[in-house]
Amino acid sequence: MGHLTRAHLLEALVFLLIVVAFYGFSFEFNQPIEIYRYGATAWPRVVIGCLLFATLGNIWFQYFNGSLSQGTIGSSNDEADLSDPKTIRRMTVVLLTPIVFAWLLKPVGIYFSAPFFIAAIIWLFGERRWKAIVIMTVFIYLLFIGLFLVILNAPLPQGNISPFYDFSAWILTMNAKLQGI
Amino acid sequence: MIENFLAGSAALFGDPFTIGIFVFGVIGGMLFGAIPGVSMLTLAAILLPFTAALEPAQGVMLFAVIYCTGTYGGAITAILFNIPGSAENAPTAFDGYPMTQNGQSGKAVGAAVLCSAIGGIASSLIMMAATEPLANWAIRNIGPPEIFALVFFGLAVASSIGARTIWKGWMSVLIGLLIATVGQDPVGGINRYNFGMVDLAAGIAFVPAILGFFAVSEIFVQAEKKASGKYKAPKVSMTFPSWLELWMHKVAVLRSIIVGFLCGILPGIGATLAAFMSYGEAVRWSKTPEEFGKGKLEGVISAETANNAATGAAMIPLLALGLPGGALTAMMVAVFQMHDLQPGPLVFMLSPDLIWIVFAAMFYANLSILVIGLVETKTILNLLKIPFQFLAPLILMLATTGAYIGRGLVLDVIVMFLAGIFGYLLRRSGFSIPGIVLGLILGKIGEQNFAQGMQMVHYDLGTYFSRPICAFLIAAGVLTLATSLYRAFKSTKASA
Repeated sequence: MGHLTRAHLLEALVFLLIVVAFYGFSFEFNQPIEIYRYGATAWPRVVIGCLLFATLGNIWFQYFNGSLSQGTIGSSNDEADLSDPKTIRRMTVVLLTPIVFAWLLKPVGIYFSAPFFIAAIIWLFGERRWKAIVIMTVFIYLLFIGLFLVILNAPLPQGNISPFYDFSAWILTMNAKLQGI
Repeated sequence: MIENFLAGSAALFGDPFTIGIFVFGVIGGMLFGAIPGVSMLTLAAILLPFTAALEPAQGVMLFAVIYCTGTYGGAITAILFNIPGSAENAPTAFDGYPMTQNGQSGKAVGAAVLCSAIGGIASSLIMMAATEPLANWAIRNIGPPEIFALVFFGLAVASSIGARTIWKGWMSVLIGLLIATVGQDPVGGINRYNFGMVDLAAGIAFVPAILGFFAVSEIFVQAEKKASGKYKAPKVSMTFPSWLELWMHKVAVLRSIIVGFLCGILPGIGATLAAFMSYGEAVRWSKTPEEFGKGKLEGVISAETANNAATGAAMIPLLALGLPGGALTAMMVAVFQMHDLQPGPLVFMLSPDLIWIVFAAMFYANLSILVIGLVETKTILNLLKIPFQFLAPLILMLATTGAYIGRGLVLDVIVMFLAGIFGYLLRRSGFSIPGIVLGLILGKIGEQNFAQGMQMVHYDLGTYFSRPICAFLIAAGVLTLATSLYRAFKSTKASA
């Protein structure tokens, strides 16, 4: 096993899966193009081939050197320390919260979901004073509404499920009245 | 030239509404460039529909001004939060962010202000003098094979920057190239890797991907440090670099202006390669290369001088050939098209007034960086005093909006957060985020020009090497890759 760790093997497995998946899916669009001899698959497959070569080279390097840095320009030696299960649990929640927020944007809309998302992020970043969470949530929400809705009139997701859609409509009506003044 | 410049200046400052647009562009570009999570591209995307109501010269001038000041503004977030405003500011973060962590944020930002202004002003002057002759030269000498060769060389250089090992540098660039293949292929319009999703047919948009890989992944990195108790608040300092310190870097500034201008002038690349190459050259010429990446002032100076020097140069292929150098110059093509104009050699004949208003505006915008930038910087440095638990949701909300408003798709927000998670995991494993982003941006340009080039030379690859510029760039790229590979094997052998 040389200097290979479980993390190295996992990393290699992920990249090899990417290589296999992208190569496999390339057959779905493997059709000739009349004006171009190499077709639509040539470029992606060359990239996939190079990625396979680099992945194998990376495993080979890690076999002899482990996580050693080659000191390339601008590189960081700062590595993730996820040995503590509590940190892993918290990071999992941190990573999933924005995905849930993004997934809710279509049905619920940004105007309703944003305050809950803002409060959740503040809490996940370690703030435990409820007063501070509420004040900062309101402040950031108003700043966001003021900048993107009132000043820039940017079209944002409103949701498509009642009563969330009605709430977005109410905010937009209020903005229209404000603009009228 | 001086007469044209004065005429352009008079047209710019002779109309109060045009002055208003200029001032809005200067302040808007700086502000959006400096707000973490959004960038000049966000502002440009928001403003694009409104330019239809402006005069063509006003619309193009507004975007040119945003380009100059936004490129500088992006350095602020790169230095303070390790969040480059756009890809061309990525090398600024290599040394700028470590300087912030070392309590030298004022010095880094001050150097960025001065060098951005110097690079931009020098570039504007050269642009005014050289646009027409260079445009004539480029029309004759630069074709798809040269652009492909340039992309290849740029990616070869980028693969050796920012990752923990050379292998991971290559993997980063290749992942970016692979992501760029999602969507329609540039020749036949065949859907690739869209998994039946209509929204993916247009490919992965740059803005959400850049926001995710840089801004969101940085939030996750800071979250992990908070969770594991390793978070250190950045130190605020208001000490600007002295004139002596800047004078000591005069060679670096001069070199970066040349590198920045030469890279920026070549179509399809823009300021990103300029900043990377200038940073790479600074390391190559330095007597203490090991100090780069740890908070060296020369790193900030090289990257910021070059990316602003490239802004003026990037206007040359845009105006002379109609080829955009990056995302913002691509939006400028849209501004031209909205007014039934096509950027290209004819613009010089049909709309010389427009050209010289834009040139004059870019010169004054770079001058404004020097004046407004120094005042604004002290205000922006106070952002560092805001606790990160309150800054993080603000950045995420701004990023969410920035990702959404480009195309009005929730999918782009999801892509941004997925890129953030992917970027976080890759960063913590020693991969290079700038490498991924550069691969993503240059992938489609590279493929398109390779295909066009091959059709042009009737699939005879040997013809590529009979074109001197193309042969030189490919040889330089191969040499860069071969040197990296040799170093990779050598270091492995030494350890074994």
